[in-house]
Amino acid sequence: MVSLDYVAVQTINALFYSSILFLVASGLSLIYGIMRILNLAHGAFYMVGAYLAYTVIILWASGSTLYFLVAPLVALAALAALGVGVERGLIRPLYGKPEELQLLATYALILVFDDLVKMLWGAEYKSFTVLAGGSLRIGRFTVPHYFVAVILVGFAVAGLLWLVFSKTMLGKQMRATAHNPEIAAALGVNTDRVFVAAFALGAALAGLAGAVAAPILTAYPGMGTEIIVLSFAVIVIGGMGSITGSLVGSLIVGFARTLMAATYPIMEIALIYIIMAAVLLVKPVGLFGREERERR
Amino acid sequence: MAGKSFMEVDGPLGIAVLGAVLLTVPLYAGPFYTRLVAVGVLYGLAAVGFNVLFGYTGLLSFGHAMFWGLGAYGVAIGLVKLGLGYAGSFALALALVLGVALATGFFSLRHTKIYFAMLTLAFAQLVYAVLLKWRDVSGGDEGLYGLPRPLGSVERFYYVVVVAVLVMLVAVWRFLETPLGLAFQTIRDNPYRAEVVGYPVSRIRLLSYVVSGLITGVAGMLYSPLQGAVTPDSLYWTFSAAIVFMAILGGTRVFLGPFIGGILYVFIANYAMDVTEYWLLVMGVILAAIVYLFPSGVVGALMKQLRGEG
Repeated sequence: MVSLDYVAVQTINALFYSSILFLVASGLSLIYGIMRILNLAHGAFYMVGAYLAYTVIILWASGSTLYFLVAPLVALAALAALGVGVERGLIRPLYGKPEELQLLATYALILVFDDLVKMLWGAEYKSFTVLAGGSLRIGRFTVPHYFVAVILVGFAVAGLLWLVFSKTMLGKQMRATAHNPEIAAALGVNTDRVFVAAFALGAALAGLAGAVAAPILTAYPGMGTEIIVLSFAVIVIGGMGSITGSLVGSLIVGFARTLMAATYPIMEIALIYIIMAAVLLVKPVGLFGREERERR
Repeated sequence: MAGKSFMEVDGPLGIAVLGAVLLTVPLYAGPFYTRLVAVGVLYGLAAVGFNVLFGYTGLLSFGHAMFWGLGAYGVAIGLVKLGLGYAGSFALALALVLGVALATGFFSLRHTKIYFAMLTLAFAQLVYAVLLKWRDVSGGDEGLYGLPRPLGSVERFYYVVVVAVLVMLVAVWRFLETPLGLAFQTIRDNPYRAEVVGYPVSRIRLLSYVVSGLITGVAGMLYSPLQGAVTPDSLYWTFSAAIVFMAILGGTRVFLGPFIGGILYVFIANYAMDVTEYWLLVMGVILAAIVYLFPSGVVGALMKQLRGEG
């Protein structure tokens, strides 16, 4: 008999995983929505964030609690800067280019980042499950406070993104640009600046995701190729370009995976792609996507 | 017509020249390089298969590793798990590739462009996920190994691989020159017009998808006996990306471009691995150079030079 405690623990696990997915996928979706770029390198940003967290937490601070708070902020800032550089140097020439060239250029970035990470940090897995803050008791089970903190971060970011998009000038400019860049530009929006801002924000979110995930999921070369394809599933299910869609998509993927892992492990990953294919067939723009106009 | 002779270079003549070179390889290259060329030839065939769908029909598949991997696993499962022998294992793999191609094609082709690419990715990852977890059949993370070496030696199997690939290339080239094959390009250039003048567009797309998958699948079927093993990497999405890489490296608007792209890919990777442990970085830089500087590919750029368009 499945106890209620067990269900509660699995729900927290699913929410933790959904939270990480949301942080990665919302940035991917934002970038696609505004710039129409399918950025495979987004997973590489996540990986770099994870390694930065390792450096901050283990090498600088040998596991002290405070650095669990500092590491995500360092990753956030570093990846925002990296995002600006990558957008300016490598992504800008790809606007309006055929999809296969966008995919390959950003795939090239994955190859480069995977090896740069090996060069700087070595090829072995970095695990540092030094968990700060103790844990929660649920019946026979214990859940680290850290899981709850990551879940809260996920929801907080979702709330902040909603505020940015609905209340700030930059958010309105982003929405206008996503809708129609030419008209937005004609109305005085500096779309170049919006593109950089969107890309940097997306990269920063991926870096944050890597930094908060690494203490649980470890850091390793290739972690980016794994998360990116799941993030594609998330944004396809939720609707490419929609933040609400990313949130719902992350929850669907997170819960589907946790449920299958606990009941029918052979379908743990497979179910995610079945849902992805089913959504594409029934409602290709995703659950929260809008019908696409031709944009090029 | 000047263009005609160049078409021949990019067709039977080119295949004949490549064939002559490839068939002499075991005479002067040792077993290591003979096997390397065989891998390159199979990657090349896989990329040609991809390009029937992409370059000729205008549909970007981001899941072609599925066909390659199903071919490779089909043969390996037949040999290692079911003890079917080579003929039976090839038949099993062929049936598997054909069945999955028909099923996924039927669904994926409800859409074109980016949604089609996403569907092919989803189906390929689905096959990957199922095989990875279905350990009894696939060997899980480790894959399957200990395939009996066909014909006793790499050299002898090399000739089988090269002859099979050359026959496939000629057959595919001739097929693409038939009215049905030419319809692929009509649909690529203007699907609406093709529909209006009476082409059964969705059926022709499905045909292209299945032919494309079978070509890449056959390449995979020859790959696992060559290596004596198969691992889940052969089904993972990064290999789908690698196939796109090979096709673009050679050039997707040239029939033999992807084939030469596959061979080049293997040799560049091998060379990079000799020079540095960071060979992926080298591949990434080369890929970026192709995308930003020579998007028509190495062979494509060469043909433009020859035609005096460069």
